[in-house]
Amino acid sequence: MAMEEKNKIGVYICHCGSNISDYVDVEKVREEVAKIKHVSISKTTMFACADATQNEIVQDIQENDLDAIVVASCSPKLHLDTFKNVAERAGLNPYNYVQINIREQCSWAHSDKPVQATEKAIQLVKSGIARVGYSEALIKTKISAENVVVVIGAGVSGMRSAIELADLGSYVYLIEREYFVGGRVSQWGELFTTNETGKEIISRLYHKLMEYKNITLFTGAEIISSTGTVGNFDIQVKIRPRYIKPGCKVDPEKLQKVIDACPVEIPDVFNFNLTTCKAIYKNFESEFPEIPAIDPDHCTRCGECEKLCDDIDLGQQDEFVNIKAGAILINTGYDPYEPKTGEFGYKEIENVITLPQLKRLIELSGEELIYKNKKIQNIGYIYCVGSRQKDGENKYCSRYCCTSTIYTSIVIKNKYKNIHNYHFDKSIRTYGKLELLYREASENGDVFLQFWDEDPPVVSRNGNGTVVSIKDMLTNGKELEVDCDLVVLVTGMVPRQDNKIADILKAPIGRDKFFNEIHPKLRPVETVIDGVLISGACQGPKNISESLKSSLSAASKANSLVKKGEIELKPTIAFIDKNACVWCDECMKACPFDAIIKVQSNGKDVAEIVEAKCKGGGMCLPVCPENAINLKGYTDNEMEAMITALAD
Amino acid sequence: MSKVNTALASELQYYGAKEFSACYNCGNCTAICSLASENNEFPRKMIRLSTLGLENEIESSLEPWLCYYCGECSSTCPRQAEPGELMMSLRRYLTARYDWTGLSKRFYTSEIWELGAIFLLAAFILVMFIFFHGPMTTELTAEGGVKLNTFAPWKTIEIGDWIMAALLGFFLLSNIFNMYLKVIVRNKNIKIPIKLYFTTLWDLGFNFATQWEFSKSENKTKIAGKQFNISPYWIMHWLLMSSYVLMLILIIVFLGWFQTDNIYQWWHPQRLLGYYATFGLMAGLIYFFYNRIKKEQESGKHSHFSDWVFLVLLALTTITGILVHFFRIYGLPMSTYYMYVFHLMVLFPMLMIEVPFSKWSHLAYRPFAIYFAKVISAAEKVNSKD
Repeated sequence: MAMEEKNKIGVYICHCGSNISDYVDVEKVREEVAKIKHVSISKTTMFACADATQNEIVQDIQENDLDAIVVASCSPKLHLDTFKNVAERAGLNPYNYVQINIREQCSWAHSDKPVQATEKAIQLVKSGIARVGYSEALIKTKISAENVVVVIGAGVSGMRSAIELADLGSYVYLIEREYFVGGRVSQWGELFTTNETGKEIISRLYHKLMEYKNITLFTGAEIISSTGTVGNFDIQVKIRPRYIKPGCKVDPEKLQKVIDACPVEIPDVFNFNLTTCKAIYKNFESEFPEIPAIDPDHCTRCGECEKLCDDIDLGQQDEFVNIKAGAILINTGYDPYEPKTGEFGYKEIENVITLPQLKRLIELSGEELIYKNKKIQNIGYIYCVGSRQKDGENKYCSRYCCTSTIYTSIVIKNKYKNIHNYHFDKSIRTYGKLELLYREASENGDVFLQFWDEDPPVVSRNGNGTVVSIKDMLTNGKELEVDCDLVVLVTGMVPRQDNKIADILKAPIGRDKFFNEIHPKLRPVETVIDGVLISGACQGPKNISESLKSSLSAASKANSLVKKGEIELKPTIAFIDKNACVWCDECMKACPFDAIIKVQSNGKDVAEIVEAKCKGGGMCLPVCPENAINLKGYTDNEMEAMITALAD
Repeated sequence: MSKVNTALASELQYYGAKEFSACYNCGNCTAICSLASENNEFPRKMIRLSTLGLENEIESSLEPWLCYYCGECSSTCPRQAEPGELMMSLRRYLTARYDWTGLSKRFYTSEIWELGAIFLLAAFILVMFIFFHGPMTTELTAEGGVKLNTFAPWKTIEIGDWIMAALLGFFLLSNIFNMYLKVIVRNKNIKIPIKLYFTTLWDLGFNFATQWEFSKSENKTKIAGKQFNISPYWIMHWLLMSSYVLMLILIIVFLGWFQTDNIYQWWHPQRLLGYYATFGLMAGLIYFFYNRIKKEQESGKHSHFSDWVFLVLLALTTITGILVHFFRIYGLPMSTYYMYVFHLMVLFPMLMIEVPFSKWSHLAYRPFAIYFAKVISAAEKVNSKD
């Protein structure tokens, strides 16, 4: 641990072509550091990163039995790993290597003062040598990993990622809270650009899913606890019964009789309360799994259904399953924003509905579009309800809604006669190829009226009808009125109201309350919890193709984590001096990753690092009153040596 | 508070505006239009008013008349919404709105009405000739010409001329008065001192005679390598218009002098004026037929049914007029008589339909629009000083 242990240090000072040597006198730097006692080799080099130089360093290490090296060149962001690999090739521990940045920090920053730049470079290299003197040889720890992935949510994106994972060779547990698969997509009719219906897409995915032996689907199932770390999560799943025997062969006529017999009538959530349903239900005929379900929250156990059908068994009990998994993929989707009572007349004026309701209304309607026994002719769509809020919490754009509304208006125009569409928007965002739909709607004669943030449209009653009034931006604020038989609030996406899974998995939630990724551009499907990945609309508003892109990416990321059967962990993590530790719990509170636990050691409570969870973030270090925590690779000794050298 | 009315967009389709719904209000048309100003987002504003169906605002707008269809807006439109063609259609629509008889709307929106009216008026002329024509003598004059005035004495024809002129004048003037009511009288925001109507009168006369605005196009005339600051469109339009107006004056005011049985020398004004008009009409017709068939200029890309009717009627009138002239001086009596009847059978419907109810009325509405616009802006200046 002491400086004395490193007495054969190799130092390489790079010209970087002329990037460094034009301003920094590299030869002088070399001369100065060569004077340091433990430096046994010091060289300047035209390009330290060139293959020939790399080989030369390898040779130097091996021939001179160097015990540490310092390369003074560019930013470690560029070549830290390059020289770590050089060290490794030469049989030197890569953590006995320090990179010093004399390009960005010296030659480039001080090109007007070459003398001072050289002085600074000398000090920096000295500090690097001081640090490497205290460097420890660190070894990556490996933990075993189950090649099993739990996918939460069997919507379009969860199903697709399950299939992908199964293809890649992982065993998949697909866990769906509802009794049927498909999530939101199964509620939609025709979908934009491909014109398929949501149902078609879901049944195609379901049939594909069923072909795989390495996928197990649980419906009516919820994760109730999760412990362990990446590679080795212990997950407990509760499966609610369907109250129908698994062998049931569904006969639609008989099912209808049973449904008719059920005395319980509740608002049908699948149709966004436009209709009612019974406690025994199946949302549509081609819904999967084929067997219907009984909703235990509303069933009164009256037994009427059991009288008609032998396959019904109200005595079924909850089941619990324990799963050991290497990674978890959250695919829990979204909820449509629910407007407040009175928001654009919602729930106060009878013909104000939401976009999801309109889509269900189209699915439920025949030749004519009828709402509350009235034939619809003039539809007003109010955009950005619950999105891009000026005063509310939802500042974000929900992305899918402009296109979805415009596509729906085109479908309506094609399906029904004499319908006029009026779009009250904040600005239309049918980005990318979807712009063509906007054009088509315009050409259909749809009228687009843009409003200002501070002057939203007003929905009011006018006799028997409903009127939407707006200050039209495009006529310099002219006050206009439109008579509408149906006002559709274009509601955006919000996170799932019931989001217990976030607490169970400790998955981070962003300011917008959606799940948060590590880096939106570079690591878009990983969370800070190793082995817990996110994809689809649970991460933020997305349309179906965007959801699937992220779910496929998360699937391959999850597979790459667990497929080798073991996971390498970074060695630069915290460690605790158990003699010094007095267990004050400050470090545990400071750690955002729950990587510190309390253990017994030599008859006293002390802190211990869970290696698989520690990220080496260093949050625990400064809060420790006993200075009992150190970060490997960044120990106090190393840092203090650097400071001393710099201050010298 | 105005009501949005999508029915107007459907109605405007009949007037020729089929594409403007594609507009998404980017304003490229306004950026390129030489008529647009800081306070007047032309033509975007007119497109928006049309989309929203604000009929009263459109009715009181002069902008469509100020537009001379240079076509820059249509060629820069990213959505091919054809703003230029919408302005053309709005001119047709406004013509129909100014016309209190309702005939203009019928003619513009129904091909059956337009053709029906033409055939009815032609039949009327035919019937009049069948019953009232003079002797069809084959005897020639001393110079060898046909005695046309024996078959159709100019004094009789002139009575018809005057009746027709009175009708045309009545309809056209009353429609212009209607325009005045809609544009100025109903506009409560502005008070116009009487004096201004006279001080700006020059604009009316000048633009009536020259239709000068047509010359202001990006497309310049090049003759022998030299570029002139006027558009070929204006030259051809003015040639056609001046010839047509000349002919109208000759047949209505100077019929006795023009419809002569004498055969003058080629340099005689009666022949020279006739030849000028004939040349102007033929050259103009060729140019405008070419424009509409080749569709190279924006203004020729879209042709309404009424555009073709007008060109065909004018071409037939011109050709039959030329034939009457030559048949007469070369002494072919029967051909002259039949051609003369046919000539009037085309001429009469053309004038009766085009002058008060269709395309020729635009020649009057345009200068009046410029005149009214000047009056309004002069009044605004006066008001702002007060």
